[in-house]
Amino acid sequence: MSLSLDLGKEVLGRALDRGADEAVVRLQERVYELIVFDSGVLRSYSVLRVVGLGVEVLVSGFVGYAYTSTLSRESIGQAIDKAVKLAKALSARGREVGLARVEGVKALYRTRYAQNPLEVDPSEKASLVRDLNTVAMGVGGIVSAVTRLGCEVDKRVVVSSLGAEAFSEVVAVGISNLSVARFGEVMERVSDQKTFIGGYESIKSFDWSSFVEDISKLAVKASQAKTPPPGAYRAVIDNELIGLLLHEAFGHATEGDLVMYRASVLCGRLGERVAGDLVTIVDDGLAKGGYPVAFDDEGVAKRRTVVVESGVLKSYLTNRRASHELGVEASGNARAQDTTFKPIVRQTNFFMLPGDARVEELFEGVSEGIYLRGRSAMGGQVDPAVGTFTFSIGPSYMVRGGEPAELVRGVAVSGNILETLMNVELVAKDLLVIPSVFGGCGKDGQVVRVGFGGPHVRVSKIIVGGG
Amino acid sequence: MVDVLTLVERGVRRAEALGATEAEVYAVREGSLTVMGSVRGVEGAEGGESVSVYIRVAVGKRLSVQGGLVSGVGDVDTIAESAVKIARASPEDPNWASLPKRLGSTPTFDLVDSAVKSLEPERFVELVKRSLEIPKELDKRAFASEASVRASVVVKAIGNSHQPPVSCEQTVFDFGVEVKAVEDGFESGFYSYYVAPTLREFRLEKEVEYATRVAVETLRAKRVGTGVYQVLLMPRVFSSVLGALLVPAVRADMVQKKRSPLVGRLYSQVLSEQLTIVDDGAVPNMPGSTPFDDEGVATKRKVVFDRGVLRTYLYDTYTANIDNRESTGNAKRMGASNTYPDATNILVLPGTSSLDSLVRDMNRGIVVHGTIGEWLSNPVSGYLNATVTHGFLVEGGEVKQAVKGVVIAGDAYKLLKEGLAALSKEAEAIVNYIVPAVLLSGVSVAGE
Repeated sequence: MSLSLDLGKEVLGRALDRGADEAVVRLQERVYELIVFDSGVLRSYSVLRVVGLGVEVLVSGFVGYAYTSTLSRESIGQAIDKAVKLAKALSARGREVGLARVEGVKALYRTRYAQNPLEVDPSEKASLVRDLNTVAMGVGGIVSAVTRLGCEVDKRVVVSSLGAEAFSEVVAVGISNLSVARFGEVMERVSDQKTFIGGYESIKSFDWSSFVEDISKLAVKASQAKTPPPGAYRAVIDNELIGLLLHEAFGHATEGDLVMYRASVLCGRLGERVAGDLVTIVDDGLAKGGYPVAFDDEGVAKRRTVVVESGVLKSYLTNRRASHELGVEASGNARAQDTTFKPIVRQTNFFMLPGDARVEELFEGVSEGIYLRGRSAMGGQVDPAVGTFTFSIGPSYMVRGGEPAELVRGVAVSGNILETLMNVELVAKDLLVIPSVFGGCGKDGQVVRVGFGGPHVRVSKIIVGGG
Repeated sequence: MVDVLTLVERGVRRAEALGATEAEVYAVREGSLTVMGSVRGVEGAEGGESVSVYIRVAVGKRLSVQGGLVSGVGDVDTIAESAVKIARASPEDPNWASLPKRLGSTPTFDLVDSAVKSLEPERFVELVKRSLEIPKELDKRAFASEASVRASVVVKAIGNSHQPPVSCEQTVFDFGVEVKAVEDGFESGFYSYYVAPTLREFRLEKEVEYATRVAVETLRAKRVGTGVYQVLLMPRVFSSVLGALLVPAVRADMVQKKRSPLVGRLYSQVLSEQLTIVDDGAVPNMPGSTPFDDEGVATKRKVVFDRGVLRTYLYDTYTANIDNRESTGNAKRMGASNTYPDATNILVLPGTSSLDSLVRDMNRGIVVHGTIGEWLSNPVSGYLNATVTHGFLVEGGEVKQAVKGVVIAGDAYKLLKEGLAALSKEAEAIVNYIVPAVLLSGVSVAGE
């Protein structure tokens, strides 16, 4: 059996026949190709295929979910029976749940592309990665480099008893590079990636040699840089880092499941001021430049959700359950990594809207501070219950006399997100939203693709730990 | 039901028939059950079964790995065909020697639990329900915001062109609870977790009580001033630091690619003489235990640091061949990837001081129960960065206040050598680590 709306509808009918009051059926086929050259040697040419079916049922107010990777009639029948059994198992000791009754989406979304990256001659792709790895290794001071090409085709079908009949196919390609430089006893690494939503033609139209060479040069400079003195700084934050910071430290706290469980610092704060006046934040499934999510894995349309407007918390991100429990609109944010997982509330493209300032204005008036850069940031972690965050970020610059000064390495920042957003002094007009075909957002053991970004912003205070 | 041994044998034969000079097939069947609860009660249950197959082929020195979830036996043929096709189109890997020539199984104990294996929901529903009730019973300021149990049973088999397949069955029980505390506008939360193959040593009350105690006692946590402090890392935090900084540095692939500060440090004094660290893939009832690694090589026990002296790196077959050594049975794989060496279970031999006496002897220090971001530390440079989310300031041996939001930082190798003051005699099992608490001196703390 293959992935199709017809198969989804057939399984939906079988689930309803077996006693489900409501049901959502998901089918997915994802192929991910990854070519990795490590310091001149092909380390991996791998292809990952994920195929499967998941079915969620509501039986007398109790929810059960089951999946199977085997798409035989028998296995699908067993999955439906298991979902119903699990729902019934909760009826004795569990709690009934309510789900928002949202009309299911009828949608067909396909990435436009000219050349399917999975059909390009394997030797052509391997040669490109090898050549770029050679460029990265060719910069003096570089001791190792890893260059990767990622290509992904992700097809999803969602059919539900609320009328959803949706199909999407997202095609993404990208190249990443990690360069490690050594200077005396100091080893420093710098990594970066660029992803296009589209076909292999996007790979052909970009100057990748300059891209990887720049990464290696920055690694060499960073290995010779000092670490910043730890302490509190006034900081200019670039597009990438503000995106990462918002996604991790604020975005997760806006996720309705955490709010329902009172595990979010934003619980019960709708209508309250949670950020400075200049801050407006949205989650937009089809944001320009981002990772496209036309509908969620419950079959609800994903549109732009205004989460914070001029500093005031306006809404949470929700699935149908959080929408019902919290009394806010269903925002179409139920997402799952694949069919072996039940969808949970996730961000799509979560970013701050641009302001009016020029980027240069953000530096003016900063006599001593730091310019925090997202490039090569390793990521961050947050405790959404209290809003504490920490990020390991890329090579950055001290700011002296209103201008970026010397490079610093090994920078970590931490703070409380609400304090940090209250401390936003200026927002620039240079919006940037980017996706990644190499990683994504992790929550409860699931990884989903997201887009993130924003404009440059300036905050009056952030804690910097050197390293 | 698909038999994983059949998949392995079929895949190896098919790849060889298509022209692979070597082929290896790794097949896994996994069944799972997850029960979730929140402050509102037990609300969800999910389960299912999946079969995954990964095929690694060599055509001479040209390699490819393919695989993923399979929907039927015939998918194995498709994967084998694609793997051979791509291997032929790939450039040679000059470092490639061969797949493992010897597969085997180390005797293991307590890796299967019949209650976990049953995947029957009733017992786990009850367990989640109880974990939601306990915090309120212990302290009226506390409640469990989330709790979950995941039970899974894994049957895996691996074989290659040189050896018939080996196979085994294991279970995993995974419990987590998030406890929040609220009082007078102050809030705190703490997540406690437990992972093991069996329920034998699981004590629900202990896990929930610990989370409740830390959440309540850190209600009024605040920053302390920037400075240099003694820091006592409790076992959970110490295991995270080791996982973020030390384990990546002893991986042979990282060393060979010069992405480890331990390049050329074999047989030298890297850490304090107080630290002996063992990697052991066959500890009873530990989730990192398995009879064989992810390429079928029998797991082993090896001393990685002997009283601070680096004795070995961790190898899979590929990296072992480069260094002309034997694999240490540490091959791992992440989806359709080549194998890489990684830790199985990490054991740190405990010290002689009790935790209480370590705290009593602190002049000015922070006892750290929880951090975030330690995994973002830089294993290439060995530099530690972690934000304390749950800590206590100790002055003159007495707890003065709860601490949060400060960054601890420093060169981990200096801290674990010159800076290591003591290890506690109490050790704790935390997922695939068994470690004591560690008292470090001269730690840079960025706060107010």
